[in-house]
Amino acid sequence: MSQSLSPARLDRRATTTRGSVVGGLVVAGLLHAALIAVTLIAWEHKLDIVDQSPPNVPVDLVSISDKTNVAPIAPKAEPKPLEPPQPETQTTPAPTPPPPTAAAAPPQPAPQPKPETRPEPALKPIAKPPEAKKPDPKKTASEDFNDLLSSLTAPPPKSAHAARTGDRPVKGIGDMNMMTADLAAMLKSQMSECWSPPAGAPHPERLVPRFRIQLNRDGTVARQPQLLAESSPSGDPFMVAAVEAARRAIMTCGPYRLPPDRYDQWKDSTVDFNPRDMAQ
Amino acid sequence: MTQMRLFRFFAALLSVLALGLVPARAELHVTVDQANPQPLPIAIQDFGAASAADAASGQNIAKVIRADLDRSGLFKPLDPKSFIEKIVNINVAPQYGSWRPIGAQALVVGQVQTLPDGRLQVDFRLWDVYGESQMFSHSYKAPPESWRRIAHIIADAIYQRITGETGYFDTRIVFISESGPALARKKRLAVMDQDGANPMFLTRGDYLVLTPRFNPTAQMIAYMSYIGAKPHVYQFDLESGRQEMLGNFPNMTFSPRFSPDGNKVAMVLESGGNSDVYVMDLRTRAMTRLTSDPSIDTAPSFSPDGTQIAFESDRGGSQQIYVMNADGSNQHRISFSPGRNGTPVWSPRGDLIAFTNQSGGFHVGVMHTDGSGARIITNGWEDEGPTWAPNGRVIMFTRTTQGGRGSQIWSIDITGRNERRVPTPGDASDPAWSPLIQPPTRP
Repeated sequence: MSQSLSPARLDRRATTTRGSVVGGLVVAGLLHAALIAVTLIAWEHKLDIVDQSPPNVPVDLVSISDKTNVAPIAPKAEPKPLEPPQPETQTTPAPTPPPPTAAAAPPQPAPQPKPETRPEPALKPIAKPPEAKKPDPKKTASEDFNDLLSSLTAPPPKSAHAARTGDRPVKGIGDMNMMTADLAAMLKSQMSECWSPPAGAPHPERLVPRFRIQLNRDGTVARQPQLLAESSPSGDPFMVAAVEAARRAIMTCGPYRLPPDRYDQWKDSTVDFNPRDMAQ
Repeated sequence: MTQMRLFRFFAALLSVLALGLVPARAELHVTVDQANPQPLPIAIQDFGAASAADAASGQNIAKVIRADLDRSGLFKPLDPKSFIEKIVNINVAPQYGSWRPIGAQALVVGQVQTLPDGRLQVDFRLWDVYGESQMFSHSYKAPPESWRRIAHIIADAIYQRITGETGYFDTRIVFISESGPALARKKRLAVMDQDGANPMFLTRGDYLVLTPRFNPTAQMIAYMSYIGAKPHVYQFDLESGRQEMLGNFPNMTFSPRFSPDGNKVAMVLESGGNSDVYVMDLRTRAMTRLTSDPSIDTAPSFSPDGTQIAFESDRGGSQQIYVMNADGSNQHRISFSPGRNGTPVWSPRGDLIAFTNQSGGFHVGVMHTDGSGARIITNGWEDEGPTWAPNGRVIMFTRTTQGGRGSQIWSIDITGRNERRVPTPGDASDPAWSPLIQPPTRP
């Protein structure tokens, strides 16, 4: 029998196609279901990712004024004065920033004649700043201001000896301004050397005279100290004695050794003489 | 790029301007709370005079002033040989610049002259060398033989102005002067200036005299004397030289001490081995009994306001110090230092009580009037019997040297410093300090 496209054969072929369609559908459906099932199943096993972030560091937010608010330290050996090396170190390091730009412009032509007298400025350290700032013709105006900006934001040089943190929360010397704490410490240690309050006075903690002191640039007293306040009525002979002893301390201890380049900060000061720790 | 440069220019300008706006000087505030107490360097020039005799007085007066201030431990009189300027007219301000280099912080100048009526006139000024001003000045007139008292009064005025305390130089010390060999000791009542000058014997030494005490308001002394068979309390008037027995008791009376107003004397009466504290009113001679304990109560001392009495009692088993009201009520113990504590003496300033502590030797100490803060201030072999200077800053006491080779009088500051021997004619004991002979004048 030859194979021909007889309707019988067609029927047989048609019957086979119908079966394979259903089968195909079933297989496709199964595969789809499997795919969907796979997406629905959550993997128990997680990927191990090593935590490489840095360990937590506790951070204290502290304002600078709290930490440089120094407290006075009771000296271990009484007669030993604090001799801060500040006056010596100030004259040798890098020159301190010059006054504002407006003033910087005129002195610049002035150093021009200096090359003729070069050996002279070497003897006077004060002459150094204008020499160092001698304008380099290659520098542009913007780079000049760059230098100015960076030097303005640099902190002033501080001696490591002058300011120390005490461990008791006492109202510190110079507590208004962190920049004057070391100056207050220097003045205090120098004046303490010459202060001899009336010894054995009853209730010495009530005898606290306050003076205004004005100093010259060389550290000498510019004029008689002004009594601003006394803690006891002025008729009290012990208060009179305390005021006079404080006045003598101020006058006999000069000239005071303080950094001359910070004269503006110490030329005018208020001093309390408080014998609170000296009750017998 | 130009925009960047422009921005930086303005930023720099702004920061520079901002700097200019901030006040360049923040006010510096310093608290000085540590001191270096030193004696005050003071220059005292010999007092000037027109005549040679007066010049000698001027030198002597200055010498006494220097010695007084030096002995107080609070002043350092400078050597006159170091002076640069010689002031001849005390009514002209000194050249302060010539006194500062020698270290003088205060300057005393004065002058002496004999008046037509024979009295001595002494003028002086105290200058503040660094303050460049006069602190005060004064003028005194007195019989010439009182030149020492004038010097002491001037020293007191200087002391008071500089320290705020009243001075103690114009005072006398009454004491027992001892002489003779150990087995035949002669003890005489004596009085001298606080610097050891002008010693005077008040009794001949035929009979024993003990515990002399000064009247705080007058130049009178009360003491215990063995004139009769039994010792009794007597009163001696330094001005008139008269001596009288206080009360007429068959038994022993001793340890007298005046009240601050000088009208009463606290003393001890003994009866059958028991001693109690009594107070006698000097005006009425009436006796009031204050303690009635079977123990030995002795050594009463009034507080300067007259409201309390400190005394010694062994009612607790050993001698200790007690305080009671002046009427005898509220008797309570205040001494708790190790050992025995006795001879309490109330400071004329009212804040401290001096006493003798015995624990391995005798030492003088001071404590607050409630017994707190007790501290020993002397460290000799045998120190006892303290007496106060009228300003409550200095104490004198009897010191016996090791081996019992006689006793001397020493003085010390209440801080325990400046311990010095007081010069006496021979051995001495039992000092008692008088009040200021002349009440202080406000300079």
